Amino acid sequence: MVVGIGGVPVETGTGTSTTSTASGVGTVSTRRTCGTVGAATVRTGVGPGAAATAAAAAAGTSRPAGSTRREATRRLLASAVAAAMAPVVVGASRPARPGDTTFEETYRGRRIRGVWRHRSSGVKAGEWHVTVDGRPLHLMRRADGTWLSLVDHYQSYRTPLEAARGAVDELGPGQRLRDLAPGPVGEELHRLLMGGAHGGVHA
Amino acid sequence: MAYTRKDVGNLTREERRRFVDALLTIKRRGEYDDFVRTHIRYFTADGENGLRPAHMAPSFLPWHRKFLLELERALRRVDSSVTVPYWDWTRHRTTTSVPWREDLMGGNGRRSDQQVTTGPFAYAHGNWTLREGVTDGEFLTRDLGRARAPIQLPTKSELEWALKDPVYDVAPWDSTARKGFRNKLEGWGTGRGSASWLNHNRVHRWVGGVMLGGASVNDPIFWLHHAFIDLQWTRWQRRHRGARYLPATPPGRGDAQRGRIVARHQKLPPWDVTPDELEDMGQIYRYA
Repeated sequence: MVVGIGGVPVETGTGTSTTSTASGVGTVSTRRTCGTVGAATVRTGVGPGAAATAAAAAAGTSRPAGSTRREATRRLLASAVAAAMAPVVVGASRPARPGDTTFEETYRGRRIRGVWRHRSSGVKAGEWHVTVDGRPLHLMRRADGTWLSLVDHYQSYRTPLEAARGAVDELGPGQRLRDLAPGPVGEELHRLLMGGAHGGVHA
Repeated sequence: MAYTRKDVGNLTREERRRFVDALLTIKRRGEYDDFVRTHIRYFTADGENGLRPAHMAPSFLPWHRKFLLELERALRRVDSSVTVPYWDWTRHRTTTSVPWREDLMGGNGRRSDQQVTTGPFAYAHGNWTLREGVTDGEFLTRDLGRARAPIQLPTKSELEWALKDPVYDVAPWDSTARKGFRNKLEGWGTGRGSASWLNHNRVHRWVGGVMLGGASVNDPIFWLHHAFIDLQWTRWQRRHRGARYLPATPPGRGDAQRGRIVARHQKLPPWDVTPDELEDMGQIYRYA
């Protein structure tokens, strides 16, 4: 598939693939339930096209080793998509609804699942809900469009799926994600700061 | 009178014992876990909405300075002789260097599950059970040097690259700032893989295990690492006389960073203190 970003043709992987992962453990099969991955352009708005293409970027990361051109073009795609998308991913594990976009794979024996949920109102177009073995994985966005997980906080990844794989890489045998639900407190802090009040949190 | 923070390699046997004992005491009392929670709670990334007090922002340095002071105050309530030592990772560079001694932080995690099994913080001793974490694992984990794809600690010259920048921080004041001492030290690089983690971030990566996540405070090496980062701020001020924390004033209306970063005279949540008030610590502590 080729999509254009600002007139630059960009190749992106599609479809189900089976390949060795970076760690050489297990196989990856990526599945999409959304039929709109062939969107012709990446939009800079927050409409469904942007979301679907974002999902494609998130999911389409199974790659043959050493494909540097593809890597580079995907990076471009990912950052363009990132600019188009609204932030915040908080995990949950309800079944996908019609129109939602998902990715799902078993990576190193762990079940990774991501669902993009549209929102019809508010400033955000929607949210990614990502789970590992059914437990929510808290993800955050970086300003450059990449993704961080709470497990691996000092490095960012191009897509939610890559961030989830990075988290799995660091989960010890038998360890499961804790259902923390800490949530970014930035907005709450902003309100406090602008309201002149101080939070009740003490170190 | 100001107290002294020392290189961890210069602590006496007695100083090492007192530091470790104070940590174990505040852990037993439940105070330590408050610090872990605070660090998780105040990590706001720059692609999200809202204020970023602790990371990917100019206040990375004053926030962690205050955080370290609060920990040190808790330790000194237990034993007034204790100060937080610093880990100079440009000198103590191997998996058996001084911080990882049996009577300090203990050693690397074991291969099978990264569990730290040596030293005072080994799970089996029963004094260091993780209660606030990203996973349900109750034991401290480390993967020094990252066994499966080895990386090196930052070098003197990488640190020097940050120190020689004469400007504290620059717009857009986040993880994408290419110039400025703050982000060069915090260490958000571009691209992927090894080259993209610099200085502070790279050290978290090198230690691995819980140090990689939002609950990195669970590994007490966190404080030794951040004492060394804090020392770099002091060194930078000494080198660039008159250079101050930036921005001096909040971003103007219409600036995307308005309300998202802490300017020099704004309060730094969760504390009632400003970066301006944290720039000179000479009355409280000094580094040996």
